Amino acid sequence: MATRFPILRLCLAGLPLLSAAGTSVASEPGEAGFSATVRPFFEAHCVACHGPEKQKGKLTLHDLEGTLASSEDLETWELIHEVLKHGEMPPEDEPQPVEGKRGAVAAWIESELKNQVEKTSESARAPLARRLTNFEYENTMRDLLGFPLNLAENLPKDPNQPYAFNNTAEFMRLGPEQIDRYLECARRAMASAIVDPEPPEVHSTRKEWEPNGVDRGIGGDELGVYGNRRHTPAWGMGLKGFPKTGEFRIRLQASAILPPGIEELPLRLVMGYDLNINSSTQRIAPVGTVRLGNSPDEPGIFEFTGRIENFPVKPGTTRNGKRQPESLTITPQNLYDDGTLNDENDFSRTRNVAMPRAVIHWMEFEAPLVDTWPPEYHTRILFDSPLRESDPEAYVRAVLERFLSRAYRRPATDEEVERFAEIYALVRPELGTLEAAMRETLAIALVSPQFLYHTVADGDAVAPSYEIASKLSYFLWGSMPDAELIDLAAAGKLDDPETIATQVRRLLADDRSQDFVRNFTLQWLSLEKMKTVPINRELFPRFLYYVPRGERAGTEEPYRPTIRDHMLEETIGFVAELIRRNAGVSSLVDSDFAILNQPLAAHYGVEGVQGDELRPVPVEPEHRLGGLLTQGSILIGNGTGSAPHPIYRAVFLREAILGDEVAPPPAEVPALTDSAGDSAEKALSIKDLLAKHRQVESCNDCHVRLDPWGIPFEHYNAIGKYQLKVPQEGTRVGMFSRERHTDLAGYAAYLESINTVEIEADAKVPHGPVVDGMAELKSHLLEARKDEIAENLLRRLLTYGLGRKLTVHDRFAVEQLLDQSKADDYPLADMILRVCQSPLFRNPSPHPN
Amino acid sequence: MKPKSWHLDRREFLRGGGVALGLPFLQGMSWAKDVAGATSLPKRMLVSYFAYGAYMPNGPAGIPDKDQPHHEWSWWPCRDPGPLTFNRSSAPFEPLKDSVSYLRGLDHRGGWKMGGHSSGDVFATGADMTEHEKTNNISIDQVAANHHGHLTRYASLVLGTEGGTGSYGRTKTLSHRGPGRPIPSMHRPQEIFNRLFNPYAGKGVDEVRAGLKREASILDLLLDNSRSFQSRLGREDQVKMDEYLESIRSLEQRVERTSQWTHEALPEIDTKGLNLEVAHNEPQEYIRCMYDLVYLAFLTDSTRFATLMLESEQSSDSEMWNYATYVLGYKGATHDIAHKRPVDYSGQWDRWRAEQHAYFLQRLRDTPEGDSNLLDRTVVLWGSAHPHASHSTTNYPIQLAGGKDLGFRHGHLHAFEDEKKVPLANLFVSMLEGLDVPVDRFADSTGPMTELRA
Repeated sequence: MATRFPILRLCLAGLPLLSAAGTSVASEPGEAGFSATVRPFFEAHCVACHGPEKQKGKLTLHDLEGTLASSEDLETWELIHEVLKHGEMPPEDEPQPVEGKRGAVAAWIESELKNQVEKTSESARAPLARRLTNFEYENTMRDLLGFPLNLAENLPKDPNQPYAFNNTAEFMRLGPEQIDRYLECARRAMASAIVDPEPPEVHSTRKEWEPNGVDRGIGGDELGVYGNRRHTPAWGMGLKGFPKTGEFRIRLQASAILPPGIEELPLRLVMGYDLNINSSTQRIAPVGTVRLGNSPDEPGIFEFTGRIENFPVKPGTTRNGKRQPESLTITPQNLYDDGTLNDENDFSRTRNVAMPRAVIHWMEFEAPLVDTWPPEYHTRILFDSPLRESDPEAYVRAVLERFLSRAYRRPATDEEVERFAEIYALVRPELGTLEAAMRETLAIALVSPQFLYHTVADGDAVAPSYEIASKLSYFLWGSMPDAELIDLAAAGKLDDPETIATQVRRLLADDRSQDFVRNFTLQWLSLEKMKTVPINRELFPRFLYYVPRGERAGTEEPYRPTIRDHMLEETIGFVAELIRRNAGVSSLVDSDFAILNQPLAAHYGVEGVQGDELRPVPVEPEHRLGGLLTQGSILIGNGTGSAPHPIYRAVFLREAILGDEVAPPPAEVPALTDSAGDSAEKALSIKDLLAKHRQVESCNDCHVRLDPWGIPFEHYNAIGKYQLKVPQEGTRVGMFSRERHTDLAGYAAYLESINTVEIEADAKVPHGPVVDGMAELKSHLLEARKDEIAENLLRRLLTYGLGRKLTVHDRFAVEQLLDQSKADDYPLADMILRVCQSPLFRNPSPHPN
Repeated sequence: MKPKSWHLDRREFLRGGGVALGLPFLQGMSWAKDVAGATSLPKRMLVSYFAYGAYMPNGPAGIPDKDQPHHEWSWWPCRDPGPLTFNRSSAPFEPLKDSVSYLRGLDHRGGWKMGGHSSGDVFATGADMTEHEKTNNISIDQVAANHHGHLTRYASLVLGTEGGTGSYGRTKTLSHRGPGRPIPSMHRPQEIFNRLFNPYAGKGVDEVRAGLKREASILDLLLDNSRSFQSRLGREDQVKMDEYLESIRSLEQRVERTSQWTHEALPEIDTKGLNLEVAHNEPQEYIRCMYDLVYLAFLTDSTRFATLMLESEQSSDSEMWNYATYVLGYKGATHDIAHKRPVDYSGQWDRWRAEQHAYFLQRLRDTPEGDSNLLDRTVVLWGSAHPHASHSTTNYPIQLAGGKDLGFRHGHLHAFEDEKKVPLANLFVSMLEGLDVPVDRFADSTGPMTELRA
């Protein structure tokens, strides 16, 4: 990450924002204004710290020229403008400029910047060609072929940087290993997409369970939450045989035994390795989930489908000379979870009986499905045509023309079709059949740059329209354009803002937009790190689920969604809901609802939420929820797993929400633990540690402007729960123990007895008021920082949508877009719409020559 | 064909120390021949990496305090620069005393600002990823492979325990072809074995050659298609497309090279004694199997340059996360050891790693080659990109072993601190020099590291 200027846009809350056009004293344009107004200002207020002697933030002002000539300087000028506009410099403890001067300098910069930007069209200098991200690649393959395939897991991971999107050309590099993997993926995909003419052998397996043993509490056909007996449905169904590719169907007859007051239980099927063999290398993938509410008196039949190649097959092994064939097992899981699963160390049978159970009478598996043969996805590529017999060469060209035009997201040229006809002719004799040769030929097409890259060919009159179609679909679906978008492009209608508006609404309403929301949110908020923060089990013994017994007892239960998993979905679902409601940007900071399911609600202390489905739930102030900042995914990801971490949380707030760039700690500065003298992990409150850290001068320079943003989060602990007190430093917190804490209330009482120290969460925000705790922080953000938050979100949407970094050349377009949305509190869906309609997005990418 | 002097006599091979135990039966050890016709013996290199730093109790920089006795569990074998003595943590290397050196005070400037858990990205590259090399840069093994990789069936071997490339800041490979082009590491023993020794997947040589010929023609046509497409792009995009074309050309070269090597017999290796199905939950078996595969690749001269990422910094999505649990019975994730540094576990953990690495070095040394042994003809780097505290990115734990016949001398702890401070890349320059790869510079190097050269 560029270390432009570490701590910059810290706002002078309370001071009126000095808009360039507003309260400032007019100054002459050009060099005259520079000499008369700007240079004297710099000399009086800036160069002492940003000049020949000191270069704080690596910024110097004494050597800037009044012509704004070099583009590198433009970025610096933009930076200076931002800082002056927000009144962040000179620092509070330095002499302040005479009223109006700061505004005059800002106005001069703004007007000069505008002149320069109008003169040049430099935004086109960045390369526009970029390869599909793995996310886009997998989605595109799905929509191209008509069925989903797990392909991205075989590709080298995309670059991933905190608070940055991975689709910028700068980072989308490519090497031979990657092409190699693309070729492997493409060959696999075509092996699935084109079938042989003869219907294959159909494999099927059926298993039944009997209700014997009911007298012992749980019948042999019942599935408890966990802790199930052998030979019950929990032990799954091993498949007698299965094909390598193709669709499968699983049917089962099931019902639920539900205690009073509980309406349903989620029953999930997973397929892959046998879950009940104790091994660390198990791999499974979910098939699907049904929610059972029907009683055993009225068993229902449920059907699941999928593609066999998306499930991890346990490879065959040879051990002690005995050959074990490869295998697949289907395992049903009872995912009922009221948030108390870990309240006991073990699952006694009595406890399992008291919880909802599924009854599974029988289960059947069948694959591949040959109801129609060849399947529809096959005939989309190798369509029926008399040409096939009469003129095979023409048929091959027709197949290629159709496939390439879809794969390339624009009509294929004759030359392109011809090249692939050559490849087909080359491989046809050796591979024997039309199907085999076409598989290979199309696989090669899927590693050609026209497929792998976002590009626009020059000198092609229709290309810009197709480019817009692709830009829209890759922005809002992360995938290729569908037929409707392509038809509009072909008709040349996509340069009309009204048509774009209709399409954006259609795209956002489509399920595929959930892919966009997920991908965008994960990267924008740098969310996924929350999955790797090691949760301190001694402090939070009941947060994750642990294997209750056996060889792996005490290790994390691997194949069961935990509260932590729900938290990630909570945040993605929250952003999706804001877009769906077209809510204003204030909702990012605070909202009157939260996205919850039962386990999450139990964790946060919200009552009356049943079931595992996440949904918007109204929240009250006493829940201490609402907005992004109090969501577990963010609080855990920016904590240590043992304690909150004000610095991580401050960095999150400033980077993800306020849009600042926060430089990483410099190498020559000692780490927090070293300067504070003790391990940060041992301390339950870091506020004191930070205070010690700030006593070191080199740390203080940055931290004095960073820490205050994190301290108001302190009431939210390392697993995202609100608490007013923490244990005395050095107190050892005992694990949950059944002997000592016979029930949840007992454990809660124990925690209360050791949580004796009041948390201090008050801090003076730089250039702003003292805020005490989250509620006041939110108020401050909403009152004083809303425009900044909106600008940040808009810039993120643009950066993601355009696939490039924004430069100084985009600033006036950004301003204009912001002005359009300001009146209505910057509604999210409208902002997305306006981004798509903006000239930045819509105009054909210029090619400087 | 008359075996060259360095080709192994199998009997002699099996006599060499305890290696016969669990040793795959090797046939046709004389298969390998120098394509260029050169007669010199191979010069090899392994770069290996362990994550989460090591235990260095004596102060934050890991430099033992002068007033204190050396800690028995410090990763550093002894306190003072000079001839090596060994503590509990490093004891497994005592028998290899004359073949190892410890280098204190080294690091990559490029990793300083990356944070402890991310600086592993640049361990083998020294790239300045926070400033002007944001997509990393070429790694030392690839520099060597570019020079001498054509001499063996595989230019290099890239292994890791988690596989793939990872992403920036959380790499799962040490090897990089150049900016933005990490080489995915392989981590499944069976797959590695097959790629090394059974690359034709049971097909006959003729069939393989025909397939390669077809592949070459296809790539050629693909290259035509891509060039023609490139010419229709704007200038900036054309530059970007060069990267793609270069990748295709490089694949073409590889096909051609694979095709050439089909004229050389593959080494036949009986897998008896090798458990290729071993997985992370048997850490010692697994790690030794990975080391064995490097050993076999070197022994058969299938490649001369290898990297082995023994652990990755961010492994929470793999069983490596619980590595220490299996080995030591440690309650937390392996990563916790880096943060909490419990003395007993930290020290034992380091010692366990040392035992595995010493196993590999010993195995090389027990295998005669020419007038000496494999270890003397293989330079082995072993280290991590952060020391004690997870935040710190200076003073890496670094051990160099082997390569005596390549001009390295051993047996000392060297300290490069204060006014003696030099970049770790200086060591890389000297390692490349030992491999007959003439380079003036590597990353931020300021010259060779003469202390280690005979």
